[in-house]
Amino acid sequence: MKQSDDSSIISSLAVKLIMRARYNDRKAVLEQVRMLSPGLDPHDQNMSELRGGMSAARTRLAALDASGYGATRNYLDGAVTQLSPFIRHGLIQLSDVRDKALADTPPQRAEKFIQQLAWRDYWQRLYRDAPEDIWNDVESYKTGFVAADYADALPEDIALGETGVACIDQFIGTLLTTGYLHNHARLYLAAYVCHWRRVKWQAGARWFLQHLLDGDPASNNLSWQWVASTFSHKPYFFNLENIEKYSGQSIDTAFKRNKPLAGSYDDIYTRLFPNLEPR
Amino acid sequence: MRLIWIHEDAMTLDHPVVVAAGDEAKPIFIWDTVRHDHLGYSLKRRMFIYESVLDLDIPIYAGDTYASLMELSAGQPIYAADTPDPYVQDMLRRLRETQEVFVIDAPAFVDIPEGTDTKRFFRFWNQAKASAMMTTEDIQANKTPSKDK
Repeated sequence: MKQSDDSSIISSLAVKLIMRARYNDRKAVLEQVRMLSPGLDPHDQNMSELRGGMSAARTRLAALDASGYGATRNYLDGAVTQLSPFIRHGLIQLSDVRDKALADTPPQRAEKFIQQLAWRDYWQRLYRDAPEDIWNDVESYKTGFVAADYADALPEDIALGETGVACIDQFIGTLLTTGYLHNHARLYLAAYVCHWRRVKWQAGARWFLQHLLDGDPASNNLSWQWVASTFSHKPYFFNLENIEKYSGQSIDTAFKRNKPLAGSYDDIYTRLFPNLEPR
Repeated sequence: MRLIWIHEDAMTLDHPVVVAAGDEAKPIFIWDTVRHDHLGYSLKRRMFIYESVLDLDIPIYAGDTYASLMELSAGQPIYAADTPDPYVQDMLRRLRETQEVFVIDAPAFVDIPEGTDTKRFFRFWNQAKASAMMTTEDIQANKTPSKDK
C-alpha cells in the first residue's frame, strides 16, 4: 500500500493519512480538513460551534431534558436537544436516546420527545422502502401549480441570505454560520422558498443538505416535500404573526421589514395559491 | 484481516457491527473528498464528520471509497453497519461481487408488524407507539419467545 503525506490525497488507491490532527486542536483540524478538501470553496469560512465526536455526543445526551423539550419545542428558543447531528451520523442510536429519556422522565412527559425520535425512524423506513422518492415528487403539488411552474435553481439572494425579508435573512444567516436551525425555522424557510418564491423543493433541500450538520436525505427531503405538498394533503405556510408567537426577542419580526409575510392566513393563502379556491 | 467499514451513517465503535466482526477486525474510515464535493458539503459539515472520526481514534484513509475498500480489504470479509443510504448499499453490493460482506443493524427503535401502513406518519405512529415507549431491553425481551410456550 502506498503511504504518503496528506497532500497526495487525490488517488485512485487508498492512501493512509499518516499525519492526524489532534481532536482538541481545532485550528489544526480545520487546516487538515481544508487540505483534505481541495474542491471546497475557499470562501467558505463558516465553522460551527457545534463539534463532532463521541465525547460531544455523550455530553449532549447527558444533558437531555425530554420533559422540557415536550413543553417548549415549538418555540425557537425552546429546550431543543441539538442531538440530531449525532443521530444523523450514527454516533448515537435512536434507541439510546429513547432509553435515556425513559430513564429520566415519566413516560407521559417523554412522549412528545419520543414521538419526534419516531419521525426519524419513520423517514428512514421510507428511505429504505422507496429510495427513489427522496429526490422525486412523491405526489403532485396541491398548490394549484404543477412542478414545471417552480424554478429549478435556488435564487442567489436566498443562498446569500439577502432576500430583504428580515426574519428570513436571519434564519438563513443562522443556517450558514452554525449548520443548525430549529425545526420551526426550517419549516418557515422551506415554505418561503417553495411558496413565496415558487422554487422547486429539490433546490431548497439540496441547499439545506449542504449546510445542516444533521442533514439527512430522508428526513430533510421528505420534510421539504411535506411543506411543498408533494408528500402531504396541503401546502404548509405561515404568517408573520406565527413567527412572532414562536420566536424570542432575537428574531426581527417588525412589519416594515417583513411585509411579504404579513397578513391573515386567508389573505396569504389567496396570494400564494391564486389558482385554488379561497379558504 | 477483516475490516469494519465505519461509514458516515454509523460513526461509532459502540455498534453491534463491531461485536459481530470480532476482536481481530480492524475499523477504518475512508475520507472521500470527491463524494463530499458531489454532495456540495460545506466546511461545517466536513468539520463535523472529521472531528467525529478523529474522536474514534481509528485509521483514516483518503481516496475513492470503493477503490480504498477493495485495496484495504485485500479480499477479506468486510463488515458494515446497515443504512438505507443507496450510496452505501451500492458500494456493499459491488464489494459483495468479490468478497464476503456482512451488514449488521443497530437495535430496532420500534417493533411493528410487517406491512404496517406508512403512507402518513400518524398511521405509522399509531402502530409504533406502544413499542416506541418501551426501553430497548423490553422490546427485545418481548420479541424473544417464552420458554413456556
